[in-house]
Amino acid sequence: MKRLKPLLWAGIGLFLLLLAVPGPVLAAETSCLQCHGAQSGRFGEPVPLWRQSIHAANGISCHNCHGGDPTVMSMDAMSPERGFRGVPAKTDIPDFCGRCHIGVKEDYLQSAHGKALGKGGPQCVTCHSNHKVVAASPALINPQSCTRCHDYGRAADIKAAVTSTDQMIGGISDDLAGLHHLGIDVKEMQGKLFSLRNEFHRLFHEVDAEKVRQQTADFQQRLGQIRQQVTVIQERLDQRKLVGGGVIALLVLAGVLAALIRKNYHEEERAGE
Amino acid sequence: MSWHKRVIDWVELRLGIRDILAQNLTEYLLPRNTNVWYTLGAVLLTLFALQFLTGILLLVHYVPDSNEAFKSVNRIMNEIPFGWLIRYLHVVGSNMIVIALLLHMFSVLFMKSYYRPREVTWLSGFGLFNLGLALCLTGYLLPWSQLSFWATTVATDAAGAVPVVGDQLVRFLRGGPMVSDTTLGRFFALHVMGLPLLFGLLVGLHLFCVRRAGISSPPFGSDYRLWEPKDRFRHQHHPGGIPFFPNYATKDTAVICFFLAALLTVVIFAPTIFIPPDALEPANPFTTPAHIKPEWYFLWAYQTLKIFPSKFLGLAAQGALMTFLALLPFIDRGPERRPAQRPIFVTCYVLGVLILIGLSIWGHYS
Amino acid sequence: MDDSTVSPARRRFFLTILLGGVGAALAGLTAWPFWTYLSPSKGAGAGEKVKVPREKVPIGQAHFFTFQGHPAVVIQPSAGKYIALTAVCTHLGCIVKWEPDKEDFLCPCHGGRYSPDGQVTGGPPPKPLESYPVALQGDQVVIG
Repeated sequence: MKRLKPLLWAGIGLFLLLLAVPGPVLAAETSCLQCHGAQSGRFGEPVPLWRQSIHAANGISCHNCHGGDPTVMSMDAMSPERGFRGVPAKTDIPDFCGRCHIGVKEDYLQSAHGKALGKGGPQCVTCHSNHKVVAASPALINPQSCTRCHDYGRAADIKAAVTSTDQMIGGISDDLAGLHHLGIDVKEMQGKLFSLRNEFHRLFHEVDAEKVRQQTADFQQRLGQIRQQVTVIQERLDQRKLVGGGVIALLVLAGVLAALIRKNYHEEERAGE
Repeated sequence: MSWHKRVIDWVELRLGIRDILAQNLTEYLLPRNTNVWYTLGAVLLTLFALQFLTGILLLVHYVPDSNEAFKSVNRIMNEIPFGWLIRYLHVVGSNMIVIALLLHMFSVLFMKSYYRPREVTWLSGFGLFNLGLALCLTGYLLPWSQLSFWATTVATDAAGAVPVVGDQLVRFLRGGPMVSDTTLGRFFALHVMGLPLLFGLLVGLHLFCVRRAGISSPPFGSDYRLWEPKDRFRHQHHPGGIPFFPNYATKDTAVICFFLAALLTVVIFAPTIFIPPDALEPANPFTTPAHIKPEWYFLWAYQTLKIFPSKFLGLAAQGALMTFLALLPFIDRGPERRPAQRPIFVTCYVLGVLILIGLSIWGHYS
Repeated sequence: MDDSTVSPARRRFFLTILLGGVGAALAGLTAWPFWTYLSPSKGAGAGEKVKVPREKVPIGQAHFFTFQGHPAVVIQPSAGKYIALTAVCTHLGCIVKWEPDKEDFLCPCHGGRYSPDGQVTGGPPPKPLESYPVALQGDQVVIG
């Protein structure tokens, strides 16, 4: 019987150990990515570009813009019957992107840029590119991009107008991400910030620096409210650290006192020897 | 007469506790030269008690349903007063327990305290180590975050490498082909009742063995004596020793306070060391996050599997190691306990610890 | 031994008292969060009004709902008139039942009876049922 016990424990140990071991797991990919990802040349180009995009990070894939059926593993996936839209013509691009980015499309069409569409003016892809679309930021307004058509002066002007608000948005966004990592529920604030950010970015597309300046104060005030909520939470967190630090100090003190008492007994033993 | 003397007299007349108190406290003599590693047992008892207490408190508000679990944890963190504290104590506490378990085991290995007549103590302790890891594994799933879901998928997938019954084993563990509500149900039952019950019984056995056989003398210094085989049971006395209370009680108290201070420091100033970003998103069975890894204490196993060409070989290697460790008292039979006189053992020991750390670091970066 | 220093026993006594003090402080600091964690929240939504759709309260019928954390009832004894009361009997805390045929409240535990506006009409209850203000907002009955 004694011989069995160690074997029993060994068996249990082995079993539990087996639980600890991982294996490979993969999520399924769309047919678009499976075919085009394997191609070289211009039909394969979009895939690695898209993988770096903010669309990919948010689960927006080929069929969300181009239509078609991502579950069909043949050329039939790209039939018009399955909703395939193909590559849009240049002048159709604002409608193509504007299916989702409705507000931006509205503001863009009212702007000088929008009115120049088809006459040498820029459309979405000109500044944002088509597959490697990254999160919008003032960095998209730069001399290399804007001087393709005109001088940089007015571009620099509007960039200055949006920068401070954009920095506020960025700062609050980073703080909220930090709070989120600490387990604080920031969903509502992140939603409000996201909505404000979109409102502000869509405003830019009118490329009217004066309008941006007029509305900046209002935006910054609304951002200030969110900033205030964040500050309240951060103060609460600082308070926790302060009180927590005090309790830790008390624990260390208790440990030291116990150790001193122990040492006291130790000395007494030695004196008694 | 003081009031506490009166209370003890009352109980003494009915239950005769003065004897028991004396035998286990003031007249319980221990070796004079025990080192600080001997306090780890008391530290572990305290940490487990804390885990138990915070676990019960969390149970008051946690809901074990796949639609509600994540939200209930969120409520505990944000709406219930001090919920964040109880939760973080539980999370950081579990990691601290693994650290203390490893330190305790390594010191026992180094001082050969598993040597006869303490084999049962070693076996029950090894069982406790595995139960502790199982508690960590089952507890991990309960918040139902992306990390919980996919780490459990990956961990239960491993059972598939067992020949013949592998797939059935995986389905049995999960309660189905994939991690789902049924998995949550059985992991919850295990984590909250099944495993703690087993654990409590084993702790009782372990403590009984420790007390019954007596504390081993450290294998250092001039007091060391080679152990002589006995023909019948003999509790190991230390007649020239010092009493547990107050001498070792105060030493245990001091080390416990320092461990609790370390625990609280992490909870207050760096609680997210053990919480990667994937742990903050609710579970999504359709999207596997990139770079899913098990917790740090399983990284060595994770990396071993990646090294071996066949999953089964990798598992078998780890199984062999654990079996070897479990059976160590029956393999390492020589009576010599001084590390200086056990060069082979010490070499293997140091190599083993270095490989463990190396594999874990590699697993972290791979 | 130097006689001017404190004896080890005195020193130890002093240290033990200190340790006891620190221990008590730590015990208190630990008990406070655990106690607060378990304490019921201060009436989440105290003062919050409850809206009940009119069609849920037919004439002569009662509708039970939760109000400020405890059971309450709203009845329509005659067309257009709504009364909202607590449904907790004032005797020993059981929940009262509405009897449409007798048009009163009966408590099943010890037979306490209340009129439609909450006054005690029989049995052991010592006090009437507390009533709540009711207002009509379109097709909703607003209580509170």
